[in-house]
Amino acid sequence: MTKPILITGTGVVSAIGLDKNETLDALLNNRSGVGPLVYLKTDHKEFPVGEVKLSDAEMRKRLNINDNAITTRTALMGMIALDEALKDAKLTSDMLPKIGFISGTTVGGMDMSEQYYLDYIGESTHKEYIAVHDCGSCSEMTANHFGKFAFITTLSTACSSAANAIILGANMIRCGEADIVVVGGSECITKFHLNGFNALMILDTKPCRPFDATRAGLNLGEGAAYLVLETEESAKRRGVKAQAILSGYGNACDAFHQTASSPDGEGAYRAMKEALQLADIQPDKVDYINAHGTGTPNNDVSESQAMIRLFGKNVPPMSSTKPFTGHTTSASGSIEAVFCILALQHGFLPVNLNFSQPMEDGIVPVHQSVKKELKHILCNAFGFGGNDSSLLLSKPEL
Amino acid sequence: MTNKEIYVLSAKQVSIQQPLCEDWMTQPIVYQEPFVRSIDPSFKDYVSPIEARRMGKILKRALATSKEAVKASGLDTVDAIITGTGYGCIENTEFFLDKLSKEGEQLLSPTYFMQSTHNTISSLVAIQTKNHGYNATYAHKGISFDSALQDAWMQFRLGKISSALIGGHDEMTETFYNILKKGGVMGHDDEMCGEAAVSVVLGDKSDNALCKLMNFKMLHQPTMDVLKEVAAGFQADFVLTGISGNHKNDEAYLKECKEMFGDSKLLRYKHLFGESFTASGIGVYVAAQCLKAGYVPRHLFVNDKDFTDKKPGNILIFNRSNGTNYSLTLLEA
Repeated sequence: MTKPILITGTGVVSAIGLDKNETLDALLNNRSGVGPLVYLKTDHKEFPVGEVKLSDAEMRKRLNINDNAITTRTALMGMIALDEALKDAKLTSDMLPKIGFISGTTVGGMDMSEQYYLDYIGESTHKEYIAVHDCGSCSEMTANHFGKFAFITTLSTACSSAANAIILGANMIRCGEADIVVVGGSECITKFHLNGFNALMILDTKPCRPFDATRAGLNLGEGAAYLVLETEESAKRRGVKAQAILSGYGNACDAFHQTASSPDGEGAYRAMKEALQLADIQPDKVDYINAHGTGTPNNDVSESQAMIRLFGKNVPPMSSTKPFTGHTTSASGSIEAVFCILALQHGFLPVNLNFSQPMEDGIVPVHQSVKKELKHILCNAFGFGGNDSSLLLSKPEL
Repeated sequence: MTNKEIYVLSAKQVSIQQPLCEDWMTQPIVYQEPFVRSIDPSFKDYVSPIEARRMGKILKRALATSKEAVKASGLDTVDAIITGTGYGCIENTEFFLDKLSKEGEQLLSPTYFMQSTHNTISSLVAIQTKNHGYNATYAHKGISFDSALQDAWMQFRLGKISSALIGGHDEMTETFYNILKKGGVMGHDDEMCGEAAVSVVLGDKSDNALCKLMNFKMLHQPTMDVLKEVAAGFQADFVLTGISGNHKNDEAYLKECKEMFGDSKLLRYKHLFGESFTASGIGVYVAAQCLKAGYVPRHLFVNDKDFTDKKPGNILIFNRSNGTNYSLTLLEA
């Protein structure tokens, strides 16, 4: 790759923490944030979920936002994570007019639309939420809380949205379109997709068990994470250090089915391979893979096949962190990228919680805490429609 | 970075004008209604009737314009499929939301949900054409198509791709139009709301190309100083605006055009194709077809006194999406 892309700031919120410190503590101590439903109003109390442990009102308070303001949960979580990322990278609002913002989401303002849909088509109450239904409005609401960014756009490739936002940001930097781009994604749990996933019969009523023989589906989660991507020159000029390097990335399409992955994991294989090729790194240099690992029977077989095809008998240590957070859908790509950066910084392998029995011909994931120096980590995010992406995150050379 | 030239090889549309052709250049259909749905072609050449039954209109139109655009490009396959859609598969989203709201959370069928996400469009085109290449979807209001174009434009410059299928797709139902009008999103003043399905193929070979893609820029809430600075790299014979009958936006639009482009001749297209979140894709299609045809139809001129039958050398598509998001796309004959 021509010039290195530095990650000079990160921010994350999910079921295991409202910032990076809480997140790291939960990851190191194998503390899951998945549990019974508290905040989402739904009849489906049978499904465990990974909710962010704040109500919308509590989030507004934390962000100093007026209680009458029009907000969506996705935007609020986005603001919490973006606030941490900007501060982490020492970016202030006067600098934003030269910085891009790229976010990934699919539900956008659906949390409000599903509450007020009958008002929208009947009475004219709550009509002020109509204009914030779409994905783009959600990104703008998040960004505008901090100032005026130079440009804003929104990726919507389902569960790989945030990963693709990271890829776009990297391409923008390599093209010289900006020195700094803030990238990531945000997504709250909605009744809409909880019911959609339920209708597809891919939700487990028990805590999810990725790569386990007894796995029976995913648990939904929510959250947001943003990464500050920056050129080496800009970081040097500003006196900020790289937490990690985005040394490679790949995007490919499985082109198999709208809601299922191919048995041979073609899209996943291509995405991971492309990420390694871009970084010019051999497969044996990969120290850890943060798998997409949703816990559905289909995903984990397909992803395992892709890993076996790429790494042969020597698949690196691998785990899914979905049992910690639930599947944070569109935000998972950036949330798990931050987990990987924490793993690089603190030298540990995140554990695949809830694992007990290997799948037939499957790979055994990391299921006990391991402290280990790591250099290169692959982080996978796959979406409906076969939108598969993979990021290669590396430890900065000191 | 490569300095390879990027060409618009083909551009196809299904809209409220005659589908999959350029009849609007000589015989535009004129509407008086505030909301018009697209004129659909027969879909039987693009999708089997069994599959078509499960698909929303947006998907069928996307298949038709994509397949026609790839065919017309002369390419067998493309390196990337990138779609922009402001609202995604709104018909299926509405079905699912309606059932959820009226009938509750039991007994929901997954069919509508499965084809409700924004990326269903790009994925479907990839599945149907067995394309494992780069695949992405943008959903950002009035710059959704523009974001897709920008993605491809950058990957061309980085040498990652040498061809791409760019789509701009939005559908609109009666119910959804009424909701958006209520929310102040659509249906301002004299604005006509339409639907847009447009597919454009970009490539690095000039054979039979419609025109060349010279420059592209996207901005968010820029100051006038920034706009003027950027405009320096985008001067053109004609500026294709997105004025739509939304008085407040149109007024600011024309004022900014004057400051940025002086006396360049202003054109418009939304009076024929209507407003939608991916209308700017239609703008790129219109400009590309004018450059290929070697003339600009008289009915596109904002001021009739500007009319000229001079062959256009270049056209700038200037998208000012409610004054928040801007894009500039410069095409050359």
